[in-house]
Amino acid sequence: MSEVQRKKYSDKEKNSIFDHEFMPHIDSMYNFAYRLTFDEDDAKDLVQDTYLKAYRFINSFEQGTNAKAWLFRILKNSFINEYRKKSKQPSKVDYQEVETYYNSDNVDYSMTSDLRVDAVKDMLGDEISNALNSLAVDFRTVIILCDLEGFTYEEMAKILDIPIGTVRSRLHRARNLLKDKLRSYAENMGYDTDEE
Amino acid sequence: MDKNLNTSSERKLNCSDESKCFELLESILDGEETTASKEILDEKLAKCQPCFEHYHLEKVIREVLKNKCTKHMVPAELADTIRQKIQEIK
Repeated sequence: MSEVQRKKYSDKEKNSIFDHEFMPHIDSMYNFAYRLTFDEDDAKDLVQDTYLKAYRFINSFEQGTNAKAWLFRILKNSFINEYRKKSKQPSKVDYQEVETYYNSDNVDYSMTSDLRVDAVKDMLGDEISNALNSLAVDFRTVIILCDLEGFTYEEMAKILDIPIGTVRSRLHRARNLLKDKLRSYAENMGYDTDEE
Repeated sequence: MDKNLNTSSERKLNCSDESKCFELLESILDGEETTASKEILDEKLAKCQPCFEHYHLEKVIREVLKNKCTKHMVPAELADTIRQKIQEIK
């Protein structure tokens, strides 16, 4: 959290910022928290903790700047520092996904996909959602931030504390992993994904 | 079904620089590429089959993610609980 901006807001200003700039993002915050924790109670706690921290550190928020990105950054850090540790499931690296990535022939943008547009269009919300949820948390996060919440690469870089180039490559890898999942669903649905 | 798929015979079947093209296409879809003009995009899609396919697949994936990953309903009491806790720490 930036310590540079040390404003002194009055109580009235604090309440105004909290009500008008912070609270309107509660839906997105809860959705993000739920997709990180997969647990309603954990998601509620995470959102609540985030808002309490936001209020406590409200003087380091510069009014008029991107409150949503600021809040998401706090939530992401709280998740990493607290929830991941005490999570009911021990945090584990998804070796399968790591392997899929490292063993693929091309890790750059020239990786072609035989997944068809129509197959993706026909998928149900549950299938898309499950495919997203099956990704390792770092990959899942960039897709949520970019595609569900519409953050720019620059905002994502700030939220995640990583360079923009890393945002770009992680997003690309995440989408390739997602396509692998969708491809296997498509095969189960009877789409012939091998056909050119 | 995309009607443009019928005109695929006019497109070249191999892209000479897939890696660079795909990166550009993905940036455009993410709203990051503001300098690339619409003409460049249109030309790529009109002339190159791999670019055309990649663009439309990436586009539909973004669309389904946005539209089909349902938002989880925020528990009704959460906002009130937060406001209450804030009052306590004030």
